[in-house]
Formats: sequence, structure tokens, C-alpha cells
Amino acid sequence: MVRIRQWGWGLGIATVTAVTAFSVASWQANATPSAPPSTPAAAGGQARVSDPSPVPEAATGTGNDPLTTGEVDKARAIALTPQLAAEAQDVTGKAGPEYLAAELDVDGSRQAELYYYDYKTEKLFKQVVDLKTGKLAKSYSATGMQPPASPQEAKAALELLVADPAGAELKEAYRKATGKTLTGTDGIEPIAHIYTAKPADKGASQCGKSRCVQLIAKTADGHFINVTGVVVDLSGRTVAHLK
Amino acid sequence: MTYRMFTGAAAALITSAALAVTVPVAAHAAPAAATPCGAQAMVKETLPNGTTWQMCWRINDKAGLVLSNVFVSTKRYPEPVQVLDSIRLAQLNVPYDNGDTEYNDLTAIGMGGYGLETLTGDDCKGGSIRRGSDGGGQPEQRDVLCVSAENRGLAYRLHEEEWDDEKDEPKDTIYSQQGHDLVLRTVSRLGWYEYVTEYRLHDDGQISARLGATGDLAPTEYSVANNGWPIGKGAKDYATMHYHNAFWRVDFNIAGKGGEKVEQYDTATDGRGTMTAKLKTTKTAIAKEGTFSRVNQRWWRLVSPTSKNLDGHDRSYEVVTTGGDRYEGHPETKPDITFSQKNPCEKWASDNASDPECPLDIQTVVDFVKDKEKLSDPIAWVRVGFHHVPRDEDQSPMPMHWQGFELVPRDFTEMNPLTPDGRSGVNGNQYPDE
Ligand SMILES: [Cu+2]
Repeated sequence: MVRIRQWGWGLGIATVTAVTAFSVASWQANATPSAPPSTPAAAGGQARVSDPSPVPEAATGTGNDPLTTGEVDKARAIALTPQLAAEAQDVTGKAGPEYLAAELDVDGSRQAELYYYDYKTEKLFKQVVDLKTGKLAKSYSATGMQPPASPQEAKAALELLVADPAGAELKEAYRKATGKTLTGTDGIEPIAHIYTAKPADKGASQCGKSRCVQLIAKTADGHFINVTGVVVDLSGRTVAHLK
Repeated sequence: MTYRMFTGAAAALITSAALAVTVPVAAHAAPAAATPCGAQAMVKETLPNGTTWQMCWRINDKAGLVLSNVFVSTKRYPEPVQVLDSIRLAQLNVPYDNGDTEYNDLTAIGMGGYGLETLTGDDCKGGSIRRGSDGGGQPEQRDVLCVSAENRGLAYRLHEEEWDDEKDEPKDTIYSQQGHDLVLRTVSRLGWYEYVTEYRLHDDGQISARLGATGDLAPTEYSVANNGWPIGKGAKDYATMHYHNAFWRVDFNIAGKGGEKVEQYDTATDGRGTMTAKLKTTKTAIAKEGTFSRVNQRWWRLVSPTSKNLDGHDRSYEVVTTGGDRYEGHPETKPDITFSQKNPCEKWASDNASDPECPLDIQTVVDFVKDKEKLSDPIAWVRVGFHHVPRDEDQSPMPMHWQGFELVPRDFTEMNPLTPDGRSGVNGNQYPDE
């Protein structure tokens, strides 16, 4: 059953809240009302939904569509200004900021918000790229903000932990779980939780200003090792015990 | 609270006009007007009773599944009417009872991106797996959303007895109707725990939001008898008790008009009638931001200031929530519900510190409302807690545990949207003169 619908975007009420009203859309039925469904319920009373075949990803999105791969690539090229590329540092100490995430701006306009971390200044950058004009629309930075870690940061944290005496707990747990000796970081997939110290926490009070993670290690055969009580400070490249 | 400037109405007009000329990506849907999203990001399904739900979905790296532009139409009321601007998770705080471990699963690791599972096996049995972006920094197209229609048992039953004047005999009609839900779900895997984000859109207009927890218990979280539970042989290893404090962010946009009013209703005993206690229900308008908690016989609703049903009643949705277990360890996990003025800087119910455009000291729902701003565009932050006391059966995998709440239409339509034709005249007092 194919039904044609007409879609209309419009500003809703123009009241004191007009600034937020542009997210309001009206989805209006065409003249034909929905006919009662013939029998979407197949034998046995099991209701069904449509099952469209996957289509190749579009180059660009519309409205509330997720950012496409093409849009993210385009936005990253614009967001990484020559200055940021030259002056910022990633988790490994290389030039250029650590790329973290891309989000669709929820204001209703189609903009990509790209987040980067600069290990040199301990600042989180938010680069807002207007996908229509292809321009960097806005740029913000602040210290003390720590969104989730990139895969590269999780890997760097694992390397720091394994190289540190505090990694003994992980190595022992790995030996118990797999019967093998852990050498280097092969055979482990790290999962990183950002750690931010709260006033009453003990042991790693710099975390929050610094970028810190706690690690969960997943072994090749699917065991999880929870490295409790240890925090890896990616900014200071140190490992600290909580207590 | 107000602290981030919006783009402003002029910019909004431009955006709106620009969108209106965008041709949707959809090949088969293809109306030549703009849509809130393309065909791949849209779910639009008609349930057996004739109710159609339509919405856009996407994955946010932190929140996971986000539903937006949620509209409903029914056989009786075929015009689609908007219910929600959006709904999504707003935090999942997991503190362990020994005080040594705590996770903020949305803001410190994220339900989308690499945390999001590709669906397989029985994940979407009987449903349709939809492919889309996983919301990661380097987004991948994966099979991440399950859309299915599921029986929800008896929607209603009525045994009607009439006198058939023509045949001069009694006539029995039994109205008995199976109900269905349109179900959208994703799975996120954060270490050993796996979380199911689920929205059930019922054919009578109700929406259930819930979070399922499964996977495995934390492998190395063991403590002592007063904050753990012995699992495995004997009483040697006490798996640590912990909380799952889930928050949802709900943004209504009833009939596309926005600006909902928030009301609280309380019922109290008020003397006696001729047979039993008299109860009295009073309404309190919530005109300003604040945090609220349930007591017996209390509930809240969000009311459209302008949109009415055909009986002339203001359309509204009731938030039906128990709050679940209340975690006393944080100020922000105590209230059951928070109503705040919509603000783009207020993204996460706690640990709200990941946007350099925004202040660093507005970190929780409690901070969102501390200046008691006037509510003209309310956001509802709904908290539901679960104190997880491990048990032997949690190994392994852990049986699915659900926590969540309901959004129930109140006067959204002037009658039950599933009313069968034979009952369509039954609206209001049938015997007004008696
Ligand atoms: Cu649990």
C-alpha cells in the first residue's frame, strides 16, 4: 500500500518561544485518509512491519538525518584549520588535535559539530561546520571538559598501563583468564571510560583538568578484565591508583 | 536556564525556507516537499488496528537511539498529529554500593558509535532490521535498529447487550480486540553489560520508554556481605550491588504547537461520603522550572495551550512514572522528574560538561532548574532507578531486566482512538437527564 504524504516544514507559534519553534514540523496527510489496513496480521496473528532493503548511504542528509560519511569527511576537512593542525597535539604527541566525535547540531539547521581535544592546552574544541555553505561557522574551546575517548586514546591508555608497574594487576588477571602471559598489548581490546575526579575522590585529583580514563580489557577469547582502582592520565602520561 | 543564545528567529526562517527546497533522499517515498528526514531515517508503520506511527531515528554517539518528529494517526483520526519533538536517553549513571566504582555510561563512554551493537541472531526476530549510521566519529553504516510490531494483549473488551426492536429479541455484541505496539530498539554494549534502548508505540497512542539490562555482571566487582550478594559456590564471592540510574529527556510538541503547560495533580482524602471516604483532587500549575517527586496519588501532565480535541478539551500527555529505586548518593538522582526550560546547553542529566560553547557549572538537572526560570517550552527529565542486587540467576547471560516509564495520552482524542464503529456514539453522559 503506497500512500503519498505531503510534508511541510513551518515555523510554529510565533510567541516568546519563537526561537525554538523552527524545529516544529507538520506532517500532513494528503486528502486520502489512511484506509484501514487490509490484514497486516499474517496467519497466527503475528503483526508485520515493512522490511525495506538497505540502500547505499546517501552523499548528504536532509533535516534530522544522521550525518553521512561524506558529510563528516567534508566537515572534518573544514574543521581542522591550519592553526589547529599546526598548534594542537593528539594523545600520541603528534601535531594536530585528537579527533573525538561528530554530532548533528540539534538546533534544526543542518550543521556538523566536530569535537577535538588538544593535549597541549588541555582544551576541548567544538568546531561547527555549516554543511550548506561549507564554512566553519563557529569555534569554541574550553578546559575541564572530557567527552568519551577515541579508539586511539583507549589504545594509548592500554600501552601506558601495560608499561607501568600498576599494570601487574592486569597481567595477572590476563594470565588467570587466558592461561597466557601478556606481552605488549596484543590480544587485548581496550574499552575506556573517561574518569573525572569529584571533590571527595582520592588519588587522581588532576583528572578533569587532565584527560584520564579507566580501562576495561577484553581478551581475544571474550573475557573482560576490569582494571579497578587504576586511572590512566593520558595528559600526564602517568598511571595513578585511586584510594 | 538561559545562557546560550539561540540562532534567532531570522536564522530559523532561512533554515526553514532552505529545507523546503531540499529533495528527500527517498527514492520511493518521493513527495516533492521537504521532510524532517529522508526515507532511510524514517520509520512509518501501520499497526493492525489502523494506527500509524511515523518518526525519524538516528544514533547519537553518547545517547544512542534518538527518536524525533514523532506523529500518530489512527483509523478514527487519520490526520497525523505530532506528539513528540524528540525522546532519548539523557544519562545512565552506575555507582557501585562499595563506593569504589562509578560509571556514567552516556557521557564517559557512549551508547552509540563503537558502543552500538550490530543486530544479529534473535535480536530482531519477526521484525525488520534497519541499516543506518552508528553515530561514531567515523560513522559506519550498520544494521543497528530493530523495528517490529508486537502483540500487547487485549486492547479492550466490552460485552454489549441491546434489545433488537425489529426482531424483538436481545442482541449481544462482544467487542474484543487485540492490541499491538510498534517497537523500536537498539543494543549497546559497554564492557560486559549490554543495554537495550526500547520505545514501544502502542496503537492507542501510549508510548513506553524503557531500558533493558543484560550481558554479564562485572567480572571483578566483588565486596562484602553488606553490599554484595554471594554468587557461585558457598558464600565466598559477594558480587557488588549497584544502581542503574537511567534518565530520559522528553521534548513534547503536541500537535506541532509546542509551549506545553505543566500540571501536577494530587489526590487527598477529604472527609467521608455516605458510604466511604471522599477524595479530592487538586491541580497545581508548574509555571517555573523545578524538580519533583512522586508521592501517593500524584501525577503530572504536559498540556497543549492551543490544541484541543473534538470535545474542546486541551490535548495532553500524562507522564506515568514510579521513579523506581531512588539513589541517595547524588542530588540529581533523588527527584523523579525535572521540568526545565528548553536549552541547547542542557544535554545530559548529569556530567553535563562536554560542550565548550556552554558553561562548565551547569552539570546536572538540579543545576538546570536552580534559577527557576519561567517554563514556556518545557523539557521533562525522567529518572528511573534500579538497585541491582545480584542473584545466582544473573549468571549467565544475565536475564533481561527492564526499567522505564509511560507517556499516556489524556484528551488527545475525544474518545478511545480504537473505538469500534458500534461504540462511536458513546461519548459523554449517555443519560444527561437522569
Ligand atoms: Cu546491574
